[in-house]
Order: sequence, then C-alpha cells, then structure tokens
Amino acid sequence: MKSEDLYLSMCEPDNANHLWRYSPWKKVHPTGKVREIPTNYLHPEMKLSLLDGSEAPDNFSVIKEDSPSKTNNFSDPVSMSFIESVCRDSEFTLRVKNNTVLEQPIILRIDSGLSKSAVNLSIEVGRHCEFELITLIEGEPDWFGLLRKGNIGEGSIINDVVVGQMKRGTLLRVDAINIGKDSQVRAGSISSGSDRTKADLRYMMDKDGSNLRVLGSILSAEKMYIDHHIEIYHDAPETYSRLDWHSACGGKSRTIGTGMLRVSNGSKGADAGQLFHNLLLSDKAEADSIPELEVSENDVVGCGHGTANGPIDEEQLFYLEARGFSPDEAKDSLIAAFLNSTLSEMGSDALHHWLAENLQDELKTLTT
Amino acid sequence: MSDTSELLKIQDLYACIGEISILKGINLEIKPGEIHAIMGRNGSGKTTTANIIMGHPDYEVEKGIVELNGKDLLEMETWERAREGVFLSFQYPQSVPGLQVGNFLRKSVAAILGEEAAKGKEFRNKLKESMKELDIPSSFLGRYVNDGFSGGEKKRFEILQLMLMKPKLAILDETDSGLDIDGIRTVAKGINAAIRGTDSGALIITHYSRILEHVKPDKIHVLISGKIVKTGGPELALELEEKGYDWLEEDSEN
Repeated sequence: MKSEDLYLSMCEPDNANHLWRYSPWKKVHPTGKVREIPTNYLHPEMKLSLLDGSEAPDNFSVIKEDSPSKTNNFSDPVSMSFIESVCRDSEFTLRVKNNTVLEQPIILRIDSGLSKSAVNLSIEVGRHCEFELITLIEGEPDWFGLLRKGNIGEGSIINDVVVGQMKRGTLLRVDAINIGKDSQVRAGSISSGSDRTKADLRYMMDKDGSNLRVLGSILSAEKMYIDHHIEIYHDAPETYSRLDWHSACGGKSRTIGTGMLRVSNGSKGADAGQLFHNLLLSDKAEADSIPELEVSENDVVGCGHGTANGPIDEEQLFYLEARGFSPDEAKDSLIAAFLNSTLSEMGSDALHHWLAENLQDELKTLTT
Repeated sequence: MSDTSELLKIQDLYACIGEISILKGINLEIKPGEIHAIMGRNGSGKTTTANIIMGHPDYEVEKGIVELNGKDLLEMETWERAREGVFLSFQYPQSVPGLQVGNFLRKSVAAILGEEAAKGKEFRNKLKESMKELDIPSSFLGRYVNDGFSGGEKKRFEILQLMLMKPKLAILDETDSGLDIDGIRTVAKGINAAIRGTDSGALIITHYSRILEHVKPDKIHVLISGKIVKTGGPELALELEEKGYDWLEEDSEN
C-alpha cells in the first residue's frame, strides 16, 4: 500500500494514546486539517561532511531512492506514513559500508529552508562500524518533518546525535532505529530551537546483546512547546538500555517527556532504566514527565524508571557563590552543568566540544 | 569603621534559623597570621558561625558585628564576601554534576583573584604543584565537581581550592571529619601552606584534637549552646580530649 493510502486509511489518533496525549496530531499537522496531505513540499538541502568541513570519506554516501526500504514496523503509523506521503514515497539513504571506522565525527547538515519541507531518510549502517554522526537541523521554516529510519549493523558502535536548531516553526521528528546484534548505540537529542517540537523516538532491540543509551539535553525557553516521546523495545535476551533525559525549562515554555519501556516475554537478562530530570527556571515554565513500563519477562536484571522536577538547588547556588560566582554566573553555570551532564555522555571529547560550543548562544536564552 | 588590626572581628553576634536561636552573643577576634580553632559538641553553633560569616541565606543575624579588615561583611552578599577574601571549606561540599573541576577552578580563581590569575603558565604551575602536594591525580580535572568523590577526595578538593584562592580568611568546617591519619596529615599540610607565613588567618572548626596536632592553633575557643565559654592555647584541645565538655557546661551554667 502506498503511504498516502495508508495514512488516509487511518483514523485520527486518539488523545488517550500515550504518544498523542499532550500534542494531538492536529496541532502537529502542518495545516491542522488532518485529512490533508500537502503535495508541494520541497526536499531540503542536505550536506554530509566531516566535522572540520572536509569531504566525507567514500565509505559514506547519501543517495536518493524512489523505491523506499521497508518501513520499520515498530513506529507510529500516523506520523511515519504522513512524512512518507509528503515526501511522495521517495527517500534518501545514508549508507555506511561494513567495517567503517572513523575518528572524526561526521555531520549531516539539513537546511529546512524558509517555508515547509520534509525528509524521509534511511540510515543503513553496515557491520562492525565505529563512528559518530551528528544530524543538524537548521533553517527557519513554518514546518519541517524529519523521518529517520535506521538499521545498525551487527557489532557496530555508533554515537548518533540529532541537534534541532531551527529558529522557528514546528518540527516533527520521527526516529525508528533498529539496533543490531551486539551493537552499541548512544542516541543523543538536543533540542534548542523551533516554537513547537514533536518527536517520536523509537528504538528496537530484537537481537541478542544490543546496548543502547538514549540521552537528551533539552533547552526550552520563551514560549516553546517541546514534546518528546521515547519508546524502547527489548525483544531479545541480554539487551541493555538506559534513558537519561535532562530538560531546562525557562520563560513560559512547556516541556513534555513521555517514555515507554517494553520488555517482551523471552528477553531474559534485559536491563533497562529511564530517568527524566526537569530543571524549572521560571514560575511560568511547565514540565511533565511520564515514564511507563511494560515488562512481560520475569528473568530481568532490572527495569526501573523515575522522574525529578525542581528549581535550581539553593545549596549548589550557595556553594558557587561562596567561590566568588555572582548570582547570575552561578545560575548560568548550574544550568549549563545540568545540560552538560547528558551532553558530555553523547560521544567523544571532540563531539562534546562541538556540541557545547554550538549551544552557547541558546543557553543565554534560558536566563535572559 | 573599627580598629583594622584585626583580620576578623566578631562582636556580640546573635543569630537564628527560623524561630530557633543558635548564636547567643559570640565574640571573637583573629589577627593576621593567626590560626584559631572552635571546638564544641554537635549543635553548639560551630557550623552556624561558619555559615553566618560566609552569608548563608537560611540564617538570620539578629544583632552583632562581623568585620573583615574593618569592612562590614554582613552588608555584603556571599559572592562579595568571597571576592573580599573569605573562604569556607564546607563540611559537606555540594556536588555539581556536569561542571568540570578544571573549568570550575578556573572560573573561581578568575572571580576571586581576577581573570589574569586564572590563565597562563603561572596558574597551571600553581595548580599542578598544589595537586601534587595534596596527592590529587591530574585526571581529577576532568571529573565533575564533587560528583562521585569519596569523603577524602571532597576534603582534599576543598583544600586545593583554598591553596589556589589564597583567601584572607579561611574557615575550615570539620575538614578533618571522615579522614584517616594520612588524609589529616595531607590536609593539614595544605592548610599550613596556605596560611602560615602569610597575612591570612584561619578558623578551624573541629571535634577532634588530631588535626590540631598538625596545624598548631594560636587559640582554641569552646562553643557551648551558642556562646564561647572558654578560650585557651593549644593545650586546651588535649584537656578537652581528656575531660570532655561536661565540666565546661557546668561552669557556664554557674
């Protein structure tokens, strides 16, 4: 079935659905008319390079394909089929050859333009690869949709960081990443732009020994509305996952983090945990975090979840002020530290350095 | 402005937290180059005295004077007191996950001693030298402030800051608690290096005489129920070790 037919065959999703509880689909849809599928959207400009700007090695290629790969069936069909429809069933594939090892991070810059656009991107990583990928979303569009379907090959070690840095508009981001046998993935999300962000991030571990860390550093300021939903599926023995999500919420912003951890029957030795932290920086900022668990296997190492909300710690402030930091310097340092504790776990020192530099200006919006 | 021959002058200090009165008329003077110690039972007001000098917002000063080199500390914010030269080594230092030790030290030194003092070879050499003296490995600089530190590491990190910030007045709040004999010796070495032979002064708050064997105080004050009930020389620590505090409590009641 074509994605357009699939999309139109479905009803508008129920708000009781965990994914759509806070941001109903019609608020995320570019026109608000959910039966409408725009046909005039452009593909944004994309450029793949090494972090220093030099050309990406031959082992990496981005090609346009008109026969898309099979949709990962663990993702939400509404948002996924909608982006596929808007992209008129054509997709880009980022392919990485087997045994590719790269020390310097590679960056995929996506310029989402000035109006409305979408990308259907498939990421196919071969076996035994080791590299770091930054997907940087820039631009000033009204609406931008990014679908990233991925398959990480056996034994690969990948740090995959998505930086949402649009200056305005709505970002709909859908990730559906399948993690191969014995592979290790760190999936980082940084959200520091766009008026509204709706992200549906899903990770499938259906091969033995896969290992996943999902990390979030979210800056929500002014009147931003940022809603991330993260689902992690353990569907094989000896799988490991940790979710650590830090949101700094300032201004009149609203930040939402919903988590779903599913451990299927037969996933013996699974070890899973999720933690949401919200730092509230103003009386008018709101933050909601709802982690949920569905565990159908008894023989697990552990499955836990938690959430913590609060303002800046007064004793930490006093400690820094006792070391000569002015109140503003102390506050800025504590916000940066809060976000940095997940940021610094997303990859190598080079990646961390780039991310920290890249976020300097955005950090100022939280305190001004 | 009063006589500035005192580095620290505390006069008739009364303080409370909420409705609970803690300090009930403290008088204390420390001259440049002197090290004093305050001893006393738990709850006697030792940590409150330290927090009041540093300006902790939870404590309210009901009346009294606290001056550093003749300047009214009570009129200053905490960070202004730090920049004026007051340093508090915390009993329970706060952890700040995400803030790297190296960055934190550079920012603190820049705030207190000026931007120039926190860069260049001189700073790096001083840092290296102080870390060596305190047996702190260089990998420490990449860790987060007090995050996952052992008790001993936290105390040594406080002393490292003391050595780098060169304060006029160092207050050491139970810096010896939880340290083994080697740890106490190392920390004492750091305190002596930072204070002895300078115009700075120190106020050591402790329960035990062990650290005072390595940092010989000029005076020891005994605090009971928010008042200094006895002041003496270094020999008073041994007397307290032997006799406890009951005899002083009885004296103060009489």
